Amino acid sequence: MGLTLERPAQAPGPTLPRPSSGSGRGSRARWVWGWAYSGILSVLLTLAVLLGYLVTGIASGTVDWAALFTSSTWNPGTLAFGGLAMIYGSAAVCVLALVLAVPIGWAAAIALSEYLPPRLAKPLRLSIELLAAVPSIVYGLIGIMVIRPFVADLGDVPGGDSLLAAGIVLAVMITPTIVAVSVDALAAVPGRYREAAYSLGLTRREVVRSAVLPQARSGMRAGVLLGLARALGEAIAVFMVIGRADGRLPESLGDIFASLVRPGQTLTTKLAGPEPMLAGTSGPYFAALCGLGVILLALVAVATVWGTRGSTGRTARAPRARRSSAWLRTPKDRVTTVVRLGALLLPGALLVGMLGILLARGGAALNPVFWFSPSEGAAGGGIRDQILGTLLLLATTALIALPLGYGAGIVIGTRASAKTARVLETLTVAIGGTPTILLGLAGYVLFCTTMGWGRSWLAGAVVLVPVVVPVVALTTAGRIRSMPAEITEAAFALGLTSSQYVRSVVIPYTWPATLTGLLLGLARAAGETAPLIFTATVFFGAPALPTGVVNAPVQALPTHIFTLSQDSGAPEAIAQAWGSALVLVLITAGLLSLAVLLRNRFEGARRWTT
Amino acid sequence: MSFMSKEIRSRASRLTGRRVRQSASAASAVLLLSAALTGCAGSAKADSDAIQASGSTTVAPVASDAAEALKAKGLNITVATQGGSAGGISQLGTGQINIALSSKPLSEKDHKAYPDTDFVTTQIGADAVGVIITKEVADGGVKGLSKAQVAGLFEGKITNWKEVGGPDLQVFVYDKEPGRGTREVLDKFIYGKDEPPAPPKSANYAIVGGNLETRNKLKSTRGSVAPLSTGFIDGHPELVAVPLEGVAPTLANVASGKYPMTRPLYMITNGKPKGTVKQYIDYILSPEGQKLLPKHGYLTREQMGL
Repeated sequence: MGLTLERPAQAPGPTLPRPSSGSGRGSRARWVWGWAYSGILSVLLTLAVLLGYLVTGIASGTVDWAALFTSSTWNPGTLAFGGLAMIYGSAAVCVLALVLAVPIGWAAAIALSEYLPPRLAKPLRLSIELLAAVPSIVYGLIGIMVIRPFVADLGDVPGGDSLLAAGIVLAVMITPTIVAVSVDALAAVPGRYREAAYSLGLTRREVVRSAVLPQARSGMRAGVLLGLARALGEAIAVFMVIGRADGRLPESLGDIFASLVRPGQTLTTKLAGPEPMLAGTSGPYFAALCGLGVILLALVAVATVWGTRGSTGRTARAPRARRSSAWLRTPKDRVTTVVRLGALLLPGALLVGMLGILLARGGAALNPVFWFSPSEGAAGGGIRDQILGTLLLLATTALIALPLGYGAGIVIGTRASAKTARVLETLTVAIGGTPTILLGLAGYVLFCTTMGWGRSWLAGAVVLVPVVVPVVALTTAGRIRSMPAEITEAAFALGLTSSQYVRSVVIPYTWPATLTGLLLGLARAAGETAPLIFTATVFFGAPALPTGVVNAPVQALPTHIFTLSQDSGAPEAIAQAWGSALVLVLITAGLLSLAVLLRNRFEGARRWTT
Repeated sequence: MSFMSKEIRSRASRLTGRRVRQSASAASAVLLLSAALTGCAGSAKADSDAIQASGSTTVAPVASDAAEALKAKGLNITVATQGGSAGGISQLGTGQINIALSSKPLSEKDHKAYPDTDFVTTQIGADAVGVIITKEVADGGVKGLSKAQVAGLFEGKITNWKEVGGPDLQVFVYDKEPGRGTREVLDKFIYGKDEPPAPPKSANYAIVGGNLETRNKLKSTRGSVAPLSTGFIDGHPELVAVPLEGVAPTLANVASGKYPMTRPLYMITNGKPKGTVKQYIDYILSPEGQKLLPKHGYLTREQMGL
């Protein structure tokens, strides 16, 4: 803090004589706005490209929207494009995931925030935040190796490929997100409410119910919606366990339960399959796929925007007057305590179980030779090239995303009026929540096909940029907003121009937050598979480091795991998949720990796990 | 507080007359970004010595092995499999790759879709697609299937193995994704030139992609059946390629063409292969390269009488 407060005092030094006209010494930081506006423009550009891709796709052939929403027959051979079964699949999988994850997530969050002593809660909370950032490909791997056989045994499902398996994988994936966001909401409830409630003689259960929950409810709901957005947009983890069978709809209400243990298809798995490559870039087939993309984008955008809206625009609703009976107060309190702490055991067990599986089966990753030797054949040797490829992609993405995201954050935080800031922020959030499979497909059409790059590492890096930019922009903007007004007032009172103000006050004040945002964004980008399989990576033969841009693919860890786990049967390939997964988790954890360190060192803000 | 600072900020910007400059910087931002993008596009004409091959997962192991062997001679070849045979052909048609790996012949549709591409096919070998069942079912009495029975299985009309003389066990069908060469061979066997019907809505039906994924799922599912290259079940005693119309997919039957689901394996180029691409394909056609085919369970050109 001391550091940031000193800066503004020094800054006006050279600029004290205020320029009376536009020219001269006062406009020394003119680059600031060119840069900041490039940032916000990049956000708009991403949105434009995405929408442009979908809209031109739809315009290139007629889409029978009625059929897309009501028919369940998908057969490109006869130009029958019905998406109802996929919409049903997406809905069923998400509802399943929420039904499993929400009660557990909320109960665990309450236990973590209200029941455990801080000494215990703090490390637990950190590990849950780490879990929330585990790449989805790792969850997919666990799905295919653990959950598929589990479902097969459980419900007499041949093979285990089913909506149920996909729902469980998603539930496991979104529980940490729900817990992390809910804990933040609970922690934001001022302690005086609890103190007041306890002093009235309420039991702990009653305190939570009548004093804490009404305050935290909207934040906890936001966690659920963010989890839902993640579940809706997830392609790869679902792809591996759902069976990808078209045209499945339950025939009657009673058939719904039976349909859950059958294979199905969701919107994302359809788009992650081979069909976007077969459909070409125009015509009714491509248009229908783009129509599915639009539906998916709309669903995810609604969930994301609604979710973030709930957390910021907190409505202070008067708690409902409720008379609870005094009957069995203490036993009820004890039971709830046991249930809530029990719920916390599940994510805890998940963490331990996942680490256990990863360490037990991916033990190869602990050997440095595995990190530093190149692969031999398809599945032998080490994974040096994949690690290098991932690092190259991340470094390039960081180089592009940092200035753009920083600029966008500055514009949102300082420049725009409240209303525009709101709109820009919503747009940024929407981009952050965009299913990455759509980014990958848009990148494939734009860079690989239209611009003729073929498979290119640069295309992969550029496609990852929209994953990182929103995180950087939102953390920066949030930090700027929490800036004490005195600093701003002092700066302008000293006669700084607005660009000098940004250069000498805003940037020194916000850079730790921005770097934290960058690391968090990169941790997310590191595990992305869907955008890369279409744009940047190949099955075999990519050199460790590319030498050009056109037709210069790389190998990356997430896609390597994807190929190995899907297209391999050999035991050494499975071992390598687990080893690669452990390496990927370690890289993500490294980025996250750096971010947490930075955060703890420079600021007290939370709210970054989404 | 924040209201105050907003007020101050906007006043400051009004005082210094920044509005004009603001729009100017916005404009310069547009220029900057577009320049960066076009700059990338302009400088993007390098690194063309690497050969890009993409397509069928059936051909990919051979292509990868050959690429590995030629690495020592300084040839840089990448092999990708996204999208299967049809994916490879469409990428060749749009000029993204040099060689399409295909486990199915080109169709009229492909020529029509890419009229500017001069598709030249080179057959590198052949392969038999089997209707693969589990050993449990084969031992239970399924010693052969007729064309109608195969159609019944894949259309979801036959749901229990006892309907075709096997054990009392539910059928679970794994069909290949659209565009996969394997699936087209099966469709051709069942339906001839007719368009295959939409996939059945039966409960026991799922889609698989690559050959290894197919094999994994066959092995892990009781009573499953799937079309799969017979080369992929060598050394996996729990899987059996069932004889079709009384003809088993033995080497002799495949080479003579008696076995109905034989398919050629191709490398397809745009125009006659030239330069390093020719060197690569020639290597696969050479005696040394042909040895790679039996290694993966395929037939060489010689065995096919080419």
